[in-house]
Amino acid sequence: MKAIEVERLSKAFHTKRKAAGFRGSLRALVRPEIQLVEALREVSFAMEEGELLGFIGPNGAGKSTTIKILTGILHPSGGQARVLGLVPWQERTRLAFQLGSVFGQRPQLWYHLPAIDTFLLFGEIYEVERRTLSRRIEELAEIFAIGDLLDIPARKLSLGQRMRCEVAASLLHRPRLLLLDEPSIGLDVVAKQRLRQAIRRLNEQEGVSVLLTSHDAGDIEALCRRVIIVNHGQIVFDDQVAALKKRYLRTKHVEARYAEPLAPDFRVEGAEVLRQEEGEVVLSFDAGRTPAGAIVEQLSGAGSLLDLAIAEPALEEVIREIYQEAGQPGGTPP
Amino acid sequence: MRKTLAKYWAICRTQLVHSLSYPADLCSRSLTIALFLWIFAHLWEAAYQSAGQERIAGLSPRDTLWYLMIAEVIVLSRPRLSGAIAEGVKEGSIAYLLNRPYNFLLYQVGVGLGDSALRLAGNVLAGGAITWYLVGPPPDLGHWALVVPALAGAWAIDCCIGAMIGLLAFVAEEVSAFEWIYSKLTLILGGLLVPLDFFPVWLRDMAAHLPFAYIVYGPARAFVDPDLGRFLPLFAGQVCWLAALGGLLWLGYRRSVAHLNINGG
Repeated sequence: MKAIEVERLSKAFHTKRKAAGFRGSLRALVRPEIQLVEALREVSFAMEEGELLGFIGPNGAGKSTTIKILTGILHPSGGQARVLGLVPWQERTRLAFQLGSVFGQRPQLWYHLPAIDTFLLFGEIYEVERRTLSRRIEELAEIFAIGDLLDIPARKLSLGQRMRCEVAASLLHRPRLLLLDEPSIGLDVVAKQRLRQAIRRLNEQEGVSVLLTSHDAGDIEALCRRVIIVNHGQIVFDDQVAALKKRYLRTKHVEARYAEPLAPDFRVEGAEVLRQEEGEVVLSFDAGRTPAGAIVEQLSGAGSLLDLAIAEPALEEVIREIYQEAGQPGGTPP
Repeated sequence: MRKTLAKYWAICRTQLVHSLSYPADLCSRSLTIALFLWIFAHLWEAAYQSAGQERIAGLSPRDTLWYLMIAEVIVLSRPRLSGAIAEGVKEGSIAYLLNRPYNFLLYQVGVGLGDSALRLAGNVLAGGAITWYLVGPPPDLGHWALVVPALAGAWAIDCCIGAMIGLLAFVAEEVSAFEWIYSKLTLILGGLLVPLDFFPVWLRDMAAHLPFAYIVYGPARAFVDPDLGRFLPLFAGQVCWLAALGGLLWLGYRRSVAHLNINGG
């Protein structure tokens, strides 16, 4: 069964524009300038139940709008969507019982209260029996390692601790689909790692479908097999993370270290020397044109080779390249 | 039904516990009502002395101060829905409350009541104590229990108007002007500043039929004159206004949510 089915989904809204300064304000009062903003333009995609799908894009790309339509908060201007078989904006309350959501920038824990109070409140809101709720809290406390944190007021928790509690709170009612909107924002490396482990474990053990938006390519790389990239309200990429790298990671960097210094006019056919210093050289080559083997063969024959490393650009660079490509006039989605 | 009620009771209870985090705020608010009533006591003492009468429009100075005490308790303790809803609309945080299995408006009422409960207790204690000290015990405590449903009706009407003002943020974004107008209407036509009995007859008769009077004047006047003949029309009027304003609110809410655009992405 599909967890999410979206077909030609569009959302447009009107927004007021105002020129700077006093004159601009006066003009806006007399003759307001209204602009039509197309937040989503005929977006279509599907997500299988149990899948962990990355949904990324730059600010203003349409990620949050999509999530808000999928939770039934926003009504679309056009198109169709079904989440767990329900039309979100028509059956919002029914759907809410099967959805969990975490918005990294909007805490849901009550600020002055310990997390356990919010957990008990959510238990009532989602109509979970008290005994079932107690067992569930124990399970989640173990998965998210928050057993010792439940009695501490939310305001006194570190960001990483709070975010683990936030995600746990959204899972109390055993949702079938979890929507995570930038859950790792502001977290340090260790906190990110712990959160990712817990999300992966829940996905594997309980089969919870997870739609994850993040500005951190590391989240996507660590958790998702498939990724959708949106930009300017359109999907510009929808495939496996591995395919994303394969398609865009054409330029590779090679670092080689030799026992003795290389000749000043050292060259490798099919590659460009970026840096050369004593016995060390850094090259770049287009893997689509020149096979890596040919480069390695030339480097091996150039002297006494001590070390060789071929590096791929980070996923972040790839994503940046896609954003730039799609953002340029004439830039087309792949 | 039981689960639904438990849900809103849990929301109210959680907010009540949350409000306990601000004891200084609670105490200072309670002192405010004491200060207001002390000023009112001296103002009305002077007014009665200059009029040279023991009763004006059937109210003695003691009746008037107890009336003002109840009126102040109602207004100072009421749930503040307009600000909470308008803030949510402006900031976009309404989106994060709408995706849960409850009615958004009833959620706001639950939170508002939880927030009001302690203020109510503090205002009744502080306001009651100073009024008792200044003018003696209330005129008649025979039917005081009937004030409780009258207060519930008053707050229910106030919640409807407050929520409608809050929802105006969908259209106007800034609602402080509407809040100001509403507070002044309550102050004058609701009888918060002066009991409606002291108004000219034509103005009293007109104001008495408006919702503001059913929020402040009705319950406060019934407290100082606790007669069933006064309570029954009060309850009937409150039910009518509640039905009319509740219906309008529901229509406005449905329309607002259907045309929701979220600020901030």
